Amino acid sequence: MDNYIVKAKHISKSFSGVMALDDVSFNLKSGEVLALLGENGAGKSTLMKILSGVYTRDEGELEIFGKQVGNITPKKAQELGIAIIHQELNMCAHLTVMENIFLGREIQNAGVLSNHEMTKQTQKILDQLGIDISPDTIVGTLSVSKQQMVEVAKAISTNAKILIMDEPTSALTSREIDELFTIIRKLKNDGCGIVYISHRLEELKHIVDRVTILRDGKYITSLDFKETSLPEIISYMVGREIKEKFPRVECKRGKKILEVKNLNAGPMVRDINLDLYEGEIVGIAGLVGAGRTETTRAIFGVDQKQSGEIILDGKPITINKPMDAIRAGIVLAPEDRRKDGLCIRLSIRENLTLPNLDRIINKFGVVNKNKEKKLVEEAIDNFQIKLASMEANADSLSGGNQQKLVVSKWLARKSRVVIFDEPTRGIDVAVKVEIYNLMNHLKQQGIGVLFVSSELPEILGISDRIIVMCEGRITGELNVKEASQDKILEYATRFETKKEAVGL
Amino acid sequence: MDNKDNFIKRIVKTRGMGQVITVAFGLIPLCIVFGILNPIFFSGQNIGNLLRQIAPILIIGIGQSYVLITGNIDLSIGSVVGMSCMISATLMTKGVNPLTAIIITLITCLTIGIINGTLVSICKLPPFIATLGTMTIARGIAQIVNNNYNTDSIGEGARGFRDFFYYGKTIGLYNTVWIAIAIWVVFNFILSKTRTGRHIYAIGSNIEASKLSGVNISATTTKAYLVSSFCSCTVGLIICATSGMGTMDAGNSYEMYAVAASVIGGVSTLGGQGILLGTIIGASIWGVLQNGLQFAGAPVAIRNIVIGIIVVVSVLLDVVIRTGTFRFRKLSKP
Repeated sequence: MDNYIVKAKHISKSFSGVMALDDVSFNLKSGEVLALLGENGAGKSTLMKILSGVYTRDEGELEIFGKQVGNITPKKAQELGIAIIHQELNMCAHLTVMENIFLGREIQNAGVLSNHEMTKQTQKILDQLGIDISPDTIVGTLSVSKQQMVEVAKAISTNAKILIMDEPTSALTSREIDELFTIIRKLKNDGCGIVYISHRLEELKHIVDRVTILRDGKYITSLDFKETSLPEIISYMVGREIKEKFPRVECKRGKKILEVKNLNAGPMVRDINLDLYEGEIVGIAGLVGAGRTETTRAIFGVDQKQSGEIILDGKPITINKPMDAIRAGIVLAPEDRRKDGLCIRLSIRENLTLPNLDRIINKFGVVNKNKEKKLVEEAIDNFQIKLASMEANADSLSGGNQQKLVVSKWLARKSRVVIFDEPTRGIDVAVKVEIYNLMNHLKQQGIGVLFVSSELPEILGISDRIIVMCEGRITGELNVKEASQDKILEYATRFETKKEAVGL
Repeated sequence: MDNKDNFIKRIVKTRGMGQVITVAFGLIPLCIVFGILNPIFFSGQNIGNLLRQIAPILIIGIGQSYVLITGNIDLSIGSVVGMSCMISATLMTKGVNPLTAIIITLITCLTIGIINGTLVSICKLPPFIATLGTMTIARGIAQIVNNNYNTDSIGEGARGFRDFFYYGKTIGLYNTVWIAIAIWVVFNFILSKTRTGRHIYAIGSNIEASKLSGVNISATTTKAYLVSSFCSCTVGLIICATSGMGTMDAGNSYEMYAVAASVIGGVSTLGGQGILLGTIIGASIWGVLQNGLQFAGAPVAIRNIVIGIIVVVSVLLDVVIRTGTFRFRKLSKP
C-alpha cells in the first residue's frame, strides 16, 4: 500500500529537437520532502514546469492523488492542489503583496473585488509564516529576500497539497532560511508533499527525506537521504567523482595593485578601506543587504561616490563612470550575467569583441575580420569556453560558460583587477569548480581578484583573505587560515543598532 | 475622531496618486495664468465649452490608458474615430435611423478592437506594428464607405442624434460632458474594483508572473483593446454629431493625443502603472492649454509646440520624481 500523491511515469519532453527530459519517472509521497537534484540542464525545472502546467509533456503518464490527469494548465494545476515557487522571482512589482498573493484567484463579491477580505487572509498567512510585512506594501519596494518570502506565502496560501520549491533559498539570508525550514517542516507534518530543488547541498540535511537525481534529462536514481552521503549524491549528479570542491592554488603575494581609501557612496557604502595584492583572491562576505554589491558598484563607477580615493598600481585614479574603470584596468563581472553581463541575443563573437572594438578597427572604423577572429579564438582558447560555434548566441551557452565569456571579454584588454559579484549563483557543482579554476588562473597571472559571495564554504575555500561587511561598513578582516564560518558570521552580524530590518 | 484624516491619508496612499496630485498642482496655476491673460477664460460660457472640448480627449484617453496599463499601445484610435464618424454619417445620410446606425458603427469598431487584441495577445505581434496595421486599415474603411468623399449633411432626421451627442444640455452641462463622465465612472470602476481591472494591471506589470498565476492573458488584453475601440467609437459619433456630417480625416492623430492625456496624467507607457483620475487631469491640461492659448491669441503652430513641450516635461518630471523616490527608498533601507 503506497501513499504516493504524485506518480509520474516515463515523462519525455523535447524543445525544438533537443531532449530536455527522456523517459523520466518520479514519485512523491504525502508528508515527505523530496529533493530533486541534478546539474544545470539536468531537467529538474522542466520536470517541475510540466507538473505545474507551464509546459505540456510530449509523452508519459501523470497520476495525481491516484487519478490520471491529461494536459494541465497553470490554472488546472492550482485546482489540483499543486503550487510552485519559481526559480526566477515572479511577482508583479507594481502590485501590492495582497494583490500578488491573490492574483488569478481573487475573491469577489457580486463581481466586485473584496479587498478587505483578501487583506485579512493575507495578513493571516503572513502572520502564520512570521513575515513582517504589511499586505498593502508594493512588492517592487521590497528587498529580494522579502519578495522571495512573499512568493512562499503565495504558494502556501493556495492550500496546496503538493508544493514545488525551485531554489527558494537562493536569495535568502540564513535567518530567513531557518524560517523557511520551519515552515517546510510544519507543512510536512500537515501532510503536504514537497519537492525541493536546490544547489546548496549543505542545506538538504535539515529537511530532506528522500532524493531523486536526474542527469542530462534522464532519471538516475532515488535514495533515502539517511542512507546516502553528499559525496555519493554529487557523484550521481555529475556522473563522476569531484575530487576537490574548492581547488586552491598557492601563489606568492606580490605588490599592492589596488587600494581603496575612505570610500563613501550612500548608506550602504560607508568608509570602506581595502587593499588588494597581486596573486591573491579577496572574498567579501556578509549577509544580503550588507552593502557588498554596492561597494563593488561604487569602485567600478556605476554608482556615484561621495568621497574616497582609489589607487591603482601606486597612482591615484578617478573613476566617475564604468568606462573610467575599464580604461584603468578594473573590470566587473556582475551578478546577473544574462541581464547585466552579456548581450544574450548577440553571438559569442560579438559579445567578446564589444569592449575591444577599438583594438580591431582601422582608422575608418571598419572592423578587421582577421584581427577579430584572432582575438576571439585566443579568448576562447585561453578560458576553454565550450561552444558549438562562435556565431552561436550567447544565450546558447551554459551558465558557467556564460560566466567565462563575461570574464574573457574583459581580459582581452589586459586588466589588472577583476571583481566578481556572486560568480556561482545558480550554477551547479561541476561548473562552480571551473569558475574557481578561472579565478585561480587569474590569480596566477598576477591579476587581483575581488569577489562577493553569500556562500560561506566558497568564501572560505577560495579566498586568501576575507573581508566581512555589515550595514555598509567593513566589520572585520580575516586571513583564511584563521577564518571560520562562526567568525565570519559574528562579524557579519555586528549591527550598529538593534533595530530589526523591517521591509519598507 | 481622526477618521477624516485617515480617509485623506488613504486617498493619498492610493497607488499612482502621487503623480496625479503633482500634475493637478500644475493645472491650477495654468488656469490662473490664462484667467489673468483673458478674463473671458473663466466665464460660464467658456467653462461649458472648455469642458465639452476636454470630453472627447478624456474618452480616448481612457481607452488608451487601459491599453497602456496592460503594457501595450493602441495606434488605431484616431482611425477608428474617423471610421466611426464616416460609417455613422453615411448610414444616416442613406436614411438609416440613428439608433441602428450607432449599433452598426459600434459593432464595426469593436471588431477592430478584437482584431487588435488577437494580433497582440494570440499572434504575439508587437502592439506597435499590429495597431499600425489596423490604423491604416480603419482609415481605409473610413475612406471607402462613401466612395472617397466626405458625406453630405446627416439632415434634420438626425436632430436628436446631434443633440444627444453634442448640442443638448442636461442639468446645465453639455451632454458630451455627461457621456464622458458616464464612461469614466464605468471604466474607472472596472479598472479599480473588478478582477478584470486587477488583471489588466497584473499583465502590464509582469506578464510571465500573471500567466503562471493563471491569468488569461489573451482575454485580458483583448478586453483592454475592446475598451479602447469602444471609446474611439463614441468619440467618432461625437464628432459626427458636432459637424453634422462625416469627414474622412476625422480623429487624425487622436491616438497620440490619447497617449499625451494618459501620460501627462501619470499612466506609464511601460505598463502596470497609472489611474484614470490621472487621465482626467491629463485631458484637462490638454484642453485648458488648447482653449487658453486660443484665447490668448496664440496661433495653432504655437499651441502645438507648447503642448509638445508639456508632454515631454511632464513625463521628465515624473521620471525625476520617481528616481528621486527610488533613491530615497534605497537610503531609508536599513
